[in-house]
Amino acid sequence: MAVHTATPANPPDQQPDPVHVTDRVGSGSDPFDAGRDPMGGRPRPPVGLYLHIPFCVSLCPYCDFVVVTGHAARGPGSRIEAFVGALHAELTLRADALDAIDGIGGPDRTALRSVYLGGGTPSLLTAAQVAGLLDHIADRFGIALDAEVTLEANPGPTERGDIAGFRAAGVTRLSIGAQSMDPAELRRLGRRHDPVDVRAAIAEARAAGIRSVSVDLLMDVPGQTLASWDATLHAVASLEPDHVSTYQLTLDDPDAEGLTTVEGDHLPVRAGARRWRRRAAAEQDQDRAAAMDARADRVLDAVGLARYELSNRARPGHASRHNLAYWRREPVEAVGPGAHAFDGVTRRWNAARLDRYLAALVPPDDGSPSLPPGGTEVIDDPTVRAETAILGLRLADGIDAAFGEDPRLGPGLAWGMAHELVARRADRLVLTPRGRLLSNEVFARLLP
Amino acid sequence: MPSIPQARLRNFSIIAHVDHGKSTLADRILELTHTIDARQMTSQVLDSMDLEREKGITIKARAVRLEHTARDGLRYGINLIDTPGHVDFSYEVSRSLQACEGAILVVDAAQGIEAQTLANVHLALAQGLVIIPVINKIDLPSADPERVMTELEDVLAMPREEVILASAKEGTGIPEILEAIVERIPPPTGDPDAPLRGLIFDSHYDPYKGVVAYVRLAEGTLHQRESIRLMASGAQAEILELGVFRPQLVPVERLGPGEVGYVATGLKSVADCQVGDTLTASHHPAAQPLPGYKPARSLVFAGLYPLEGPDYPLLRDALEKLHLNDASITFEPESSVALGFGFRCGFLGLLHMEIIQERLEREFGLDLIASAPSVEYHVTLTHGRGEIPVDNPARLPGPSDIEEIAEPWVKVSIITPSQYIGTLMELATGRRGTIGTMEYLDPQRVLITFELPLAEVIVDFYDQLKSRTQGYASMDYEPIGYRQGTLVKLDVLVNGEPVDALSLIVHRDKSRAAGQGLVEKLKELIPRQMFEVPVQAAIGSNVVARETIRAMRKNVLAKCYGGDITRKRKLLEKQKEGKQRMKRVGSVEIPQEAFLAVLRTGDG
Repeated sequence: MAVHTATPANPPDQQPDPVHVTDRVGSGSDPFDAGRDPMGGRPRPPVGLYLHIPFCVSLCPYCDFVVVTGHAARGPGSRIEAFVGALHAELTLRADALDAIDGIGGPDRTALRSVYLGGGTPSLLTAAQVAGLLDHIADRFGIALDAEVTLEANPGPTERGDIAGFRAAGVTRLSIGAQSMDPAELRRLGRRHDPVDVRAAIAEARAAGIRSVSVDLLMDVPGQTLASWDATLHAVASLEPDHVSTYQLTLDDPDAEGLTTVEGDHLPVRAGARRWRRRAAAEQDQDRAAAMDARADRVLDAVGLARYELSNRARPGHASRHNLAYWRREPVEAVGPGAHAFDGVTRRWNAARLDRYLAALVPPDDGSPSLPPGGTEVIDDPTVRAETAILGLRLADGIDAAFGEDPRLGPGLAWGMAHELVARRADRLVLTPRGRLLSNEVFARLLP
Repeated sequence: MPSIPQARLRNFSIIAHVDHGKSTLADRILELTHTIDARQMTSQVLDSMDLEREKGITIKARAVRLEHTARDGLRYGINLIDTPGHVDFSYEVSRSLQACEGAILVVDAAQGIEAQTLANVHLALAQGLVIIPVINKIDLPSADPERVMTELEDVLAMPREEVILASAKEGTGIPEILEAIVERIPPPTGDPDAPLRGLIFDSHYDPYKGVVAYVRLAEGTLHQRESIRLMASGAQAEILELGVFRPQLVPVERLGPGEVGYVATGLKSVADCQVGDTLTASHHPAAQPLPGYKPARSLVFAGLYPLEGPDYPLLRDALEKLHLNDASITFEPESSVALGFGFRCGFLGLLHMEIIQERLEREFGLDLIASAPSVEYHVTLTHGRGEIPVDNPARLPGPSDIEEIAEPWVKVSIITPSQYIGTLMELATGRRGTIGTMEYLDPQRVLITFELPLAEVIVDFYDQLKSRTQGYASMDYEPIGYRQGTLVKLDVLVNGEPVDALSLIVHRDKSRAAGQGLVEKLKELIPRQMFEVPVQAAIGSNVVARETIRAMRKNVLAKCYGGDITRKRKLLEKQKEGKQRMKRVGSVEIPQEAFLAVLRTGDG
């Protein structure tokens, strides 16, 4: 795979050392090393790249991701082709921008360790479109030989796409949006597939030689009982996935959070989805949800799917490398509407609206493409510390016990220990099983 | 501004039931007299407080000076004194009326006379004011001015030929109203050469001009830069500025008898220039002050506490400043085991309490907790040790010290469509009320009066009235004295600890139901904690109701990937702020609204 063809913006002698990547958060002598910019406030090159593919055949009422449906996603009026062109244009502009930054531009930049095509439903892309994007990325950013390349897919026969073709294009990991193995629950969630489709999708992935297969599940959803959850867990366990995400259904309100303005990174919630969420929220039950979480531990631990993050479980060697980068505050580049990037200093996001995204990157009359609208946020030092601890505590590995000595974080961590939400394991602080479900109580107390 | 002779001055108020269009009518009058040009015209000009615009009610009386050329070709100076329409603010209304010789009575052409209309008309008549009846909103499809005229004639003895038909919304009838003001309302009396006497009816504090007193001159003439004295406080001041309200403050050279204006006194202390005091000239003082206002009578009492203890001095300053602006609040320091140091405040009613709390929070940036509201009880102690007032249930003496408890009763007047009589009787009797009189205003509408303990009225009686009558009934109430009652104190224990700010005084027969309602509501309002929390209601050591708030089991952000980190951090920040707005009582965090749970227990 090619590394770089761009002209280096700086002489090689000004290049920094390759970024040191720790295996665990804060395992160095200073617990704040990880997630902190080792170069003193300067951006670092990305270790991963996220591409947001916003198309879905239909909208699930609980989903907050940037998604467009209907004519734009399918059929003669599909805008997918135009969109893929826009992604290429953004990839070029982002790579150019990185190349222009002192110290991290040029051919010596470390190749990406992960690429993630999320959505939306990226499996609506053709294998050729995926191959084109991955080639372009390899060309401009570099993709490491052993990189993890994930593609999210819906399990339905008309939505999961050409899995063998994706594999040939370079995809190594398939993340399947199963959500439940109960047909009635799937219908209430607005999902278009049946449980048998999940089995078929996994079989196809295995046959195609996809190295790592992940399944997403939702708990505390309308109509779900402890028994139906148990059945879903056993059904999924029998399919032998390498990775399972178990998400508590959270019914947030991006409109109320002010995220859906024209410049915002979310789209407004439709009236029908709003009604659905109100009803679903009324059916949620935190005692039952806690029981479901415990049940997931019992069933999935038994088949070797150990929890490595609050909502994620994997067999050894199958933890999501791309997502680990987020929790370790490593730099990740991102393209597509609503996508978020981080360079170690600044968080940057693209606005959510597809029209504006396309208008900037594929301007009419052959104008030259410009970066899409969006925003940035510079993270100040106290927030860096809080984020590092919060994200680190999400991981089973926890954080260095030295965080407890920090004057800002110490009281919140001590409170968590006093309430048995945080425990000390050797030189680490980790969330207890109860603390995992009540983690926000600890996290809110760690914020500056 | 040219001077207008006293014979061509008119002072009037507008009185109306809430929503009958008083503020819109005032807007139209201001427009027609070019007091405010169209460019500056905002809706409900006189309701300048944010709260007033939001709630669509007038809270504070306001004055504005208009000039109008009447049909006789002469130029008249007219002072409009706006008044609140809600039952809680009759005190404010009576003060405004004292500065007037006439009042416009606005009645909705569709709804007719309401309870508050009657109350305000009686206030105006008691002060000998000329009343100009106006039927407003005649443009409404449901308008029935004929019926309303008959009502005015039958109920208030207003001849129908005196009634003006108007639509403030469309501007019809407004010239006729202005002409009636000029023709029917007499000019103010008062000798311009007599020693100066002016009644202070309101005031505000200005950081540059000190206390700015709103004054209505009875006699004498006030000049720019004159030395003045306040007869009750004895304070002396030089006038820094003298002027009228148009409605913004516009300086003038002098004010004569009957005129309404403002005086910037430069005084720094609120206490030196109280509402109701008489202003006179230092060099030629009047012998006798004007009769002041009857002090407002507080009917509802509650403790106001800062969420953060160190804000206590800020709360005291805020209450002092607000008191200058709203003389009807009373306050004195008190302390609560649960809430720390705060103030026992007296209010005209529940709406008044809510408004004061909101004003303190908005205008002074305070975070407050209000304890459960209470009325003032009269407690006769045993062994002839006399009677003490108790306006805080936590201060009620032990049962062995109490000979007898008396509570305030009110006469509630309700005007309602007749089909709701049954449900209203049920409401009143369920609250220990007795039925007084019943009078048909017309075949469909009835004026009923009940006698009820005030304590039963302040707890969502008005909401119940509105919901049981689909919003059609209106009510007003007046105190009718104290009556003995079989009352007991209901204590609330949260996690085994008594929370004095939640204590209530209730009738013995209703104590169990009240306790059950209260603990159920608290269970809803207090969020789950890290541990299980019992909530109990008790009379003495006898627990009458109990609920358990289960321990929190889940508060988790399921997904946290690249796009979520900033968003989730903000959600966590919100949770953190929410925690900061709670009061820690023992080891339990209680949100502010839980302390008002008693108001929301429904018709218990």
